[in-house]
Amino acid sequence: MNASAYSEPYKLPAGMLALAIHGAFFALIYFGINWRAEPPQGMVVDIWDSLPQAEVVPAKVAPPPVEQADPPKPVEPPKATEPPKSAEPEKPVAPPKADIELAEKKKPKIKPAEIRKPAETKKLAQKKFEAEQAARAEQAAREERAAREEQAAQAERERERARAEQAAAIGKVVDEHKARIIAKIRRNIVMPPDVPDNARAEFEVTLLPGGSVLSAKLVKPSGRDAYDSAVERAIFKAQPLPLPPEVALFNKFREMRLVFKPIE
Amino acid sequence: MPVRIKTNGHSKMNVTQDLSFLHLIENASVLVQLVMGLLLLVSLLSWWYIFLKMFAVRQAVKQSEEFEEAFWENPDIGKLYQAVNAKHDKAGSMERIFAAGITEFVKLKKKPGIDSRALMDGTRRAMRAVFQREMDNLESHLSFLATVGSVSPYVGLFGTVWGIMNAFRGLSNVGQATLAHVAPGIAEALVATAMGLFAAIPAVVAYNRYAHDITRLSSRFESFMEEFSNVLQRQP
Repeated sequence: MNASAYSEPYKLPAGMLALAIHGAFFALIYFGINWRAEPPQGMVVDIWDSLPQAEVVPAKVAPPPVEQADPPKPVEPPKATEPPKSAEPEKPVAPPKADIELAEKKKPKIKPAEIRKPAETKKLAQKKFEAEQAARAEQAAREERAAREEQAAQAERERERARAEQAAAIGKVVDEHKARIIAKIRRNIVMPPDVPDNARAEFEVTLLPGGSVLSAKLVKPSGRDAYDSAVERAIFKAQPLPLPPEVALFNKFREMRLVFKPIE
Repeated sequence: MPVRIKTNGHSKMNVTQDLSFLHLIENASVLVQLVMGLLLLVSLLSWWYIFLKMFAVRQAVKQSEEFEEAFWENPDIGKLYQAVNAKHDKAGSMERIFAAGITEFVKLKKKPGIDSRALMDGTRRAMRAVFQREMDNLESHLSFLATVGSVSPYVGLFGTVWGIMNAFRGLSNVGQATLAHVAPGIAEALVATAMGLFAAIPAVVAYNRYAHDITRLSSRFESFMEEFSNVLQRQP
């Protein structure tokens, strides 16, 4: 019953519990949390120098409505012209009859008139019918044309969106590399003393494929000649400038306007 | 003519995408790994003590309650003393105080010509000695919990600061600093802080809890000692 004999009760269970707690916590961390940080799937972007498909497709889509809309019109006029032709020949036929029967000069005159009247009513009915048909056909054609136009517009819109996405992807790459170029040049700048923080030199840099500098022209001087020349030296010292590996993008870098400030 | 461009920013950099827990620990620098190992050890120890103390304090409270009940229900001190002696090592703190008091009382009583004041003083001294020892036993390891609670966050922080320092030192060689360069290093370093906190929080909670429980037990023992002195003084 003295102090040295004192021993804590339940040493082993306490140890086991402590281990169990750590085991549980570790398991929770290891299995409970998804540690794998999924990188965004690498996007594959198709960049087109020219857009052959985009320009061909509307041409193919557009003509059909014109062709289908036109036929009814050319077909109708012949129909309308035929009846007059059939009515006109009667006129020349009637006068000979009148010449032979001199006394009954007026009658034959009336006859053609009478003949003409039914012909006219027929003509009118026919015209009316034809006009109706034409109107109907025209309306159908108009509707069809509207639908086609809408489709074409939608396709155009989709194409526009795709084009915008491509442009954004290109823009991203271009911006990234421009930032890299500027960073590389900045690293090479040997800062002259006493350059004010708001100094701002703008250079027009012409590059060659491969990243070497063809020329660097001072477009807007900062007002501090020492700083301007330091930047110019740095531009040439930083050769080769980092360009994207895609050769097709070089056009975007051929001529660049770069702005340099002592503090970003 | 289509030109394929892979706009995958990570493809060119050598950045581990696998931020699993084990990976983070594996990739950490040696010092950070040492800190983490130390913290794991400390955490294991502190949990062990937490459970030890939990059982010990709970047992002490239960034994005291049982003994107090038996003491006040049973007027025959001699029988109680025999029962306590029969328990040997399994006797609780209060029983040991009781046994020490009654042993000293009986011993002093046998001495001829002792006055009641000296008798009671001797008995009380004997009980107080056992009381101190019992308190010491109950409070053992509590200081360890207190230390873990206050120090291990700093140890973890030290590991983190060291790890972040390394992460940023690595940045100086890279021209274009991106978050992807620093992030894994910082994540590795932060594991150390997490472990420090994991060790510290339970330790602080347990320390406060047990300190409070033990204070209550001690006041209970003291009041029992006073009461028992009175009972002994009344003995013929």
